[in-house]
Amino acid sequence: MSASLFAAMELHVSISSQPVFHLWSIPVTNAMLTGLVGVIITLAILWYVGGKVKRGKYNRFVGLVQWVFEGLLKQINDIIPDKKLARKITPLAVTIFFMVLINYWLSVVPGLESITWNGVPVLRSLAADLNFTLALAVITIVTVQMYAIKYLGAFGNGGRYFRNPIKDPIGSFEGILELIGEFSRGVALALRLFGNAFAGEVLLIVIAVLTSYLSAVVLPAFLAFELFIGFIQAYVFFVLCLIFTSLAVSHHGPSPDHSPAPAKKKKAVGRA
Amino acid sequence: MSFINYIAETAAAPEASGDVFSALGIDWRLLILQIIAFLILVFLLGKFVYPWLMKQVDERQTAIEAAAKAATEAQASAAESQQEVEALMHEARTQAAEIVDTAKLEATQMLSASEEKARSTAEKIAAEARIEVEKSIENAKRELHDETLELIALATEKVIHTKLDKKADAALIAAALKETK
Repeated sequence: MSASLFAAMELHVSISSQPVFHLWSIPVTNAMLTGLVGVIITLAILWYVGGKVKRGKYNRFVGLVQWVFEGLLKQINDIIPDKKLARKITPLAVTIFFMVLINYWLSVVPGLESITWNGVPVLRSLAADLNFTLALAVITIVTVQMYAIKYLGAFGNGGRYFRNPIKDPIGSFEGILELIGEFSRGVALALRLFGNAFAGEVLLIVIAVLTSYLSAVVLPAFLAFELFIGFIQAYVFFVLCLIFTSLAVSHHGPSPDHSPAPAKKKKAVGRA
Repeated sequence: MSFINYIAETAAAPEASGDVFSALGIDWRLLILQIIAFLILVFLLGKFVYPWLMKQVDERQTAIEAAAKAATEAQASAAESQQEVEALMHEARTQAAEIVDTAKLEATQMLSASEEKARSTAEKIAAEARIEVEKSIENAKRELHDETLELIALATEKVIHTKLDKKADAALIAAALKETK
């Protein structure tokens, strides 16, 4: 009997998110619906905290979020030495952290996929949707390239990848590796988060199926583990975003100095 | 383990038809939509929420730096005060040592002066006593001399049974004494 009870869960495992309905021929997937909930929660939390801080009214929850924000800001300043660049990248990096964290944690909510409509679960973790993780990776890589162009110049940034193979054959090969590295970084960013979130969901289903009625006792430990993994994934995505930015704006010459190159505008002002 | 087979089948079926992106659930329209939605979220938070949080963190950082600076200044001031106190203590100790040395010197001088005064007083007393004794001896000698003269006069009177007047008696005694000398 238990096998038949838990057998129903098997049908809910799917790599891709499933469309619940279509809006102007665009499929609205269950991951998008959960993502909408995640965005609303993220906005609500940060808007509430921001408003409280603005008015100078504090409570424990505001203190907790502020503590997390301050920790993230410290990390940003530690990884990116240039204060101005650190401030510019802060909104993206911090939003990535909170969005990934909240959406990953939403995947742990018990019974998330039990609400179905036409046999399709209405809610599914956004972190387990490759569209979302790929979107974050694309945004990160494009932002990194934008800052690299701003700090090194279009030719300077291009010089990181394309060098004269006759004058500098090793450097040319290194440039190609760098170019491949940029793509692999983006793909790795997307697949790492997706893989962890999806594997987490599958793990929870496997444990539920294997432990049957004992899952009520066993699952909480795995849920807690998934919460921890969610935090780790959010933090890893956040830190990698910063490290890629820091690497992109650093000098890549013979000097071991990895401090950010001055922005082109600053150079122009200096010359003037 | 049928659910695992289900996953494998789900993944393998579109791949067989060559549509890897569909197998992974990647839809370019959804991807672009999510990019736009996320950028809007970043913009909203970056415009209306993070500035306040960052301002608060900056203010706290400024307050911490100011407190650290004040603490450093207070430490420097305390060290300076400590040095001043040590200098004052050193000066006080030097002055005290000088006062003690001066007091010892004065005490020694006073003691020497007292001893000298006592010695001179004692010598003076001894000298006066000596003079007194010499005077007493002189007086005693004179009295003895006079008494001797009288005794001799009496003795001579008895021997010669003659009463001599004072003038003749004195002349006889003087002649006798002269002979004895």
